[in-house]
Amino acid sequence: MISNNNYEQLKNKAAVIRIRALEDALRAGKGHLGGSFSCVELLVSLYYGGFIRIDPKMPKDPNRDYFIMGKGHACLALYPILSDLQFFSKKIYLEYGKNGSRLGGQLDTSIPGVEYNTGSLGHALGICAGIAKAAQMDNREIRSIAMIGDAECDEGSIWEAIMFAAENKLKNLICIVDRNRLSVTKKIDSEVLFGDFKKKMNLFEWNCHVIDGHNYNEIFEALDKTTFSKKPTIILANTIKGKGVSFMENDIKWHHSIPSENEINIAREELGITNVNI
Amino acid sequence: MKLDQVDIRDAFFDQLYLRGSENKNIVILSADMDAFSLRKFSREFPDQYINVGVAEQNMINIAAGLALSGKSVFCYSIASFATLRCYEQIKVNLCSLNLPVSIIGAGAGFSFGYDGPTHHGHQDLSSMRLLPEITILELSSNDLAKKSIDYLIMNKGPLYLRLDKGPFPDWSDYKIDFNKGYRIINPLEEINLISNGFMAKESIEVAKKLKLKGINCGVIDLFRVKPLPDKLYEEIICRSKKIITIEESCKTGGLGTALSEVIAQNKNNCDLQVIAAPDKQFIEYGEREWFHSKYNLNDKGIVSLIINNL
Repeated sequence: MISNNNYEQLKNKAAVIRIRALEDALRAGKGHLGGSFSCVELLVSLYYGGFIRIDPKMPKDPNRDYFIMGKGHACLALYPILSDLQFFSKKIYLEYGKNGSRLGGQLDTSIPGVEYNTGSLGHALGICAGIAKAAQMDNREIRSIAMIGDAECDEGSIWEAIMFAAENKLKNLICIVDRNRLSVTKKIDSEVLFGDFKKKMNLFEWNCHVIDGHNYNEIFEALDKTTFSKKPTIILANTIKGKGVSFMENDIKWHHSIPSENEINIAREELGITNVNI
Repeated sequence: MKLDQVDIRDAFFDQLYLRGSENKNIVILSADMDAFSLRKFSREFPDQYINVGVAEQNMINIAAGLALSGKSVFCYSIASFATLRCYEQIKVNLCSLNLPVSIIGAGAGFSFGYDGPTHHGHQDLSSMRLLPEITILELSSNDLAKKSIDYLIMNKGPLYLRLDKGPFPDWSDYKIDFNKGYRIINPLEEINLISNGFMAKESIEVAKKLKLKGINCGVIDLFRVKPLPDKLYEEIICRSKKIITIEESCKTGGLGTALSEVIAQNKNNCDLQVIAAPDKQFIEYGEREWFHSKYNLNDKGIVSLIINNL
């Protein structure tokens, strides 16, 4: 269980990230907010909960944990975290969306702390499986963590990686699925894949935890369980696209809509953040 | 066994076996693809060999993860599948990250003639040429196969290598400089044949037959197709009245296209004749020699194409 004090800190981090993402999107006139908001608590847990062991001063340390965000279009949720943890300067952070900026609409390896050039879906899990395999070969105790979207699970290469990881018993591999139930154009409500998901993944010889992806206790508990796992772990995190701001939640238009100043003020009130100091 | 009696796959994998025994950082991934000499590697170094199964996309993604972790990675599959089935994985996950992964494609041209167009290696080289960061090698002789291993291990970025099958010549007398990217097998003349891979040794036969008809030709083994060697233009094209490219790939996008780009984009007095397979998928079955005979790609057919175009 997380203490009340820590819980409040994490909650505050998440609220600040959401406000920053809104402001960044407004300032740049571009960004994918809905899918950023659905994974904020997951990212906060990974980075502030101590589950990604990576030193911002040595982001290429070979003994670091690796994290690849397959859904790199949700970078607006990650940039404030990497900036806050001083992977890069506030000056770079404020360049988001400008011509020639290092921070664009996708993640790339020129950004300190980023391992992969995102944009095309379905690759992150296989690459993380390769990283996990290398660590297994070298007896390095690291975690290899992929975060993918639920719509991304349509990609066939995900399932090639699922089988590879199970056959190779990649116990250091963690896949987090941001199950926000909306893609760019449709609701993802079919049960073909996500119905009885835990049972299906267990049959694929993965550990599986189905959790509320906005509940820190459930996220921490699922991530804690991976430490002594003998198999790869998949965490199906049920989330809400646009989570935290009433008019954005579960509304498909917020996949890539840009807020007005007035809408950001409403969001500030709802999130209890009136002043964000960048 | 003398080097010119060895199957080129054995020349290649035996040397990789040797380096793998010294360097535990070398890892071979296979997409359920076999080679006699590869078995020795997989048997004796099981920790350095991963058969990913029939999953080329995953093979490239796993390779990317291994390379990101510092491994020296080789991926092995049929040329057509190792390039086209996982094209985007190569583009994004190897090339855009500039990772040191060597893709070894078996079955160049019509070497899997009986297995139909899915298995023919006709678009692999041309499709790989479109990827900006990649190096492309095509092996024409067993000495080159053997020596390529150290180059592949030292190479810092993605690389595609076309590997043929059967015995190949030993051209140890002709120096290999991977940074140069080509070697002159027969001295330059006004007409020069440029080829590589299986067709390099065919070009030697073509040059012999042309000589009997009073036509002297130089023969160049252009084993590095990408990046095209810097000195190729100055040292070969500018000194030629005519370049004839000879390849087994489809006419579109391969060796001939690469040369035509250089010749057309520079001022020179060099003519170009491109001899290649037609731009089609061959839904027909036969030995490599049968295809070559049918599509004027054996020495007899090539000689007649050259003479008719003089």
